[in-house]
Amino acid sequence: MEFDIAYLLRYLPSLLRGLALTVQASGIAILLSILVGLVGACIRVARVPVLSQLIVAYVEFIRNTPLLVQLFFVFFGLPALGLTLSLFWSGVLSLTLWAGAFQVENVRGGLAAIAPGLKEAARALGLNQAQYLRLVGLPLAVRVGLPSMLNTCVSVIKNSAYLSAIGVQELTGVAFDRIASDFRAFEMLAVLLAGYLSVVLSLSAAVRLLEHRLQAPFRR
Amino acid sequence: MSVRITGLSRRFNGQAALDDVSLEIARGEFTALLGPSGSGKTTLLRVLAGLDFPDAGLVEIDGRDVGQVPARERRVGVVFQHYALFRHMSVAENVAFGLRVRPRATRPAAAEIDRRVRELLELVQIPELAGRFPDQCSGGQRQRIALARALAIEPLLLLLDEPFAALDAVVRKDVRRWVRGLHDRLGITTILVTHDQEEALELADRVAVLDRGRLAQFAPPATLLEAPATAFVAGFLGEASCIPARLSGGRLESPLPGLAAPPAWPDGALRLFLRPHEVAVEAGPGPGLVRMVHPSLGAGTRVVLELEGHVLEGVVPPGLPVPERGGPCGLRALAATAFHEDGSRARLA
Repeated sequence: MEFDIAYLLRYLPSLLRGLALTVQASGIAILLSILVGLVGACIRVARVPVLSQLIVAYVEFIRNTPLLVQLFFVFFGLPALGLTLSLFWSGVLSLTLWAGAFQVENVRGGLAAIAPGLKEAARALGLNQAQYLRLVGLPLAVRVGLPSMLNTCVSVIKNSAYLSAIGVQELTGVAFDRIASDFRAFEMLAVLLAGYLSVVLSLSAAVRLLEHRLQAPFRR
Repeated sequence: MSVRITGLSRRFNGQAALDDVSLEIARGEFTALLGPSGSGKTTLLRVLAGLDFPDAGLVEIDGRDVGQVPARERRVGVVFQHYALFRHMSVAENVAFGLRVRPRATRPAAAEIDRRVRELLELVQIPELAGRFPDQCSGGQRQRIALARALAIEPLLLLLDEPFAALDAVVRKDVRRWVRGLHDRLGITTILVTHDQEEALELADRVAVLDRGRLAQFAPPATLLEAPATAFVAGFLGEASCIPARLSGGRLESPLPGLAAPPAWPDGALRLFLRPHEVAVEAGPGPGLVRMVHPSLGAGTRVVLELEGHVLEGVVPPGLPVPERGGPCGLRALAATAFHEDGSRARLA
């Protein structure tokens, strides 16, 4: 079987639309999940009563169930509870909840890595807990946790392929539909791999740049 | 009275870290808390800073009971052992930090903060480092940054927790003289926590010696050396060696010749504390076994020797022959501080 460029070019516009949707869905989910991670980790570290226990339960629940089942639950289950979301936003919500749990742990790990003396220094200088977390804890925790946070972000992009299972027309969805109708798997699968690889590699490059900037104070 | 501590106790898992400690420190005084590790000196510093809270007792700063006052409202500047600088902020930002985080009502204007930061960096003699980050500074420079940061909040009390421990020996001597000079200029009541007696004796107006959570003695350095209140203080300060002895029938039974029995003491066990210059060593036959010899300028040769299983240090007067390592030597006590088992103390000669 030959690699048919013409065939590929014919469907390139719809594949690019799919890619755009992949980038959109994962982009929004990545940003929201980082927010969840920062807030969740602070709540855990500050031991806010009730909320802190809820975060623990949330993280355990997400970590110990399959993303695909979580996705189905959001799309098919939540409407029964009175919350109906579009295909796209069901996908974004699932990815956010999934990645958020991991980001909580990533940021928490970063906070735990900070020398306890720093927190005491902050207290002695007049900072309260919230000020410490915002001005000292999180800026340092993010620097420490950046590699593991990037891992989670990469997983969000790769796992956005699951969204095709509920019918979101992102990259995988578009490609699989074509395979189902034309039975030309080779070109489509090659494009899929290349598409994800290019998105993930661009993200990694961007994060490396960010890391380089964030690490500037620590270079001698 | 600037700092008054009354009946302070703090326990960790039933173990007393501080046991009924009381001290009064005058405004502007430079005090050292001296003791071996585990003596409670750092716990006491943490309680003063509001980073730890006592189980019993009272802490007053400038006449105000601070028992319920959190650290951030105490206006106590702390220089931590490892400086605890904020690595992601520049030197100037570190120094400004304590002012910038104040609630708007008490926060100085941005221009005023900048001016103060410049002033403080001048004061600690590192104005050229303002734009650098802590990781780009040397140990001595970091120590100055930490000091400037602590001073920025205009503290009523300055606490220094082993601030010289991370510096190499040469820098340390310079820096501590400089710190004392700074104190004399600014007049801020200062408490230094240290396990290094040389540091405490050189820097402080008065030294509080802590022994397993209790205050053993609080006195000027000269008094500590001349009149140690307890056997612990005598043993801890001034490189003293400790030799057990007995009084029986008014006679002193000691492995070390040269000392007269203290008059009017009851029979019992004694401990003799001897500083190196109080033990005269001579080459030739004798009961001592020479372990180490280290020559020094002027004051004679220091000898570490063993006597009936006890290790002590003595001095060979200048000009006399020095015994060989591993060989015997003669020795004689010139003076000693004796503690009776009942706690009484006497100078022997």
